[in-house]
Amino acid sequence: MEWKLFADLAEVAGDRHVVVPVDGEDEGTATVGDALDALLEDRPALRDRVLDDDGELREHINVLREGTNVFNEDGLETAVDAGDELALFPPVSGG
Amino acid sequence: MSGLSLDATQLDRYSRHIIMDEVGPEGQKRLLDGRVLVVGAGGLGAPVVQYLAAAGVGELVVVDDDVVERSNLQRQVIHADADVGVPKAESAKAFVERLNPDVTVEAHETRLDRENAESLVADCDAVVDASDNFRTRYLVNDVARLAGVPVAHGAIYKFEGQATTLVPGGPCYRCLFPEAPEPGEVPDCATTGVLGVLPGVLGTIQATEAVKLLLGAGDPLSGRLLFYDALEMSFETVPYRQNPDCPVCGDDPIDSIERVEYTGGCGIAD
Repeated sequence: MEWKLFADLAEVAGDRHVVVPVDGEDEGTATVGDALDALLEDRPALRDRVLDDDGELREHINVLREGTNVFNEDGLETAVDAGDELALFPPVSGG
Repeated sequence: MSGLSLDATQLDRYSRHIIMDEVGPEGQKRLLDGRVLVVGAGGLGAPVVQYLAAAGVGELVVVDDDVVERSNLQRQVIHADADVGVPKAESAKAFVERLNPDVTVEAHETRLDRENAESLVADCDAVVDASDNFRTRYLVNDVARLAGVPVAHGAIYKFEGQATTLVPGGPCYRCLFPEAPEPGEVPDCATTGVLGVLPGVLGTIQATEAVKLLLGAGDPLSGRLLFYDALEMSFETVPYRQNPDCPVCGDDPIDSIERVEYTGGCGIAD
């Protein structure tokens, strides 16, 4: 599964594009949450940046699957297929 | 073609607008009668002020509490070397006076804050958020939405930018990002650096949106977040929806900013 990371998330993770194996991606049983866990396992520095103290995704971090905000679908329970592009983006404030 | 109240000089100056059906003399008159608040006269604000003034937007309200620094000049194209040390709002006004006598600039050498925001937004047809911090961005979103005024939002980070237009009836900035990152969580331009031409791209997109809002032409960038990546040279647009639980534009919205804390996450007290 390929993750695309925006703004400072790419710097924290060390790459703009990160490919991670996700259990169940070929069987169609994987979710966005599984793919996020796999990403954070692969790039542990990103964990504190995107999760709060309770391990929940921070309010200002958005997750896209194939260009659609997963919070308009089933959130982290949204199913993912092998080959889907996932993205994580924060707001930026520079002017 | 009726010239409406445009004089001969204006018919000449705006002839490339007026000749287009989507603008015409009526549209140009709307621009000349328009009043736009530009929050920030820095990297994003510079091209916004430049293009809105060139387009003949009659009244520009420019709010900025900074002075021009030499390190700004790599990107803030309305300010010149001789302006170093001059308040940005004043420098912006002087720039516009040289560019277009049809445009009046109301320069405010202050920061947009919870005390002055409502009066600055009132009577404006559109707001361009060219600020450089989350606190101001949430305040602009909230006050403009409560006043029913659309916002052309733009923000930048190093080589990347985000733009979206917050139109009453559609989602607001809080539908996309319910709360701000904590201060220091996302580094700023002074810390990270920024490609000089980047705010030129994003600011001209914001100016485009403001002109379209005044004209009532085309489709605003509403419910869509545009990402620009200068290194990849890519544009992507991602749709987003109004959040029924949004405290500002949802089913049970606030009626004033009284209980909003414009610190930390810019949340709303229960």
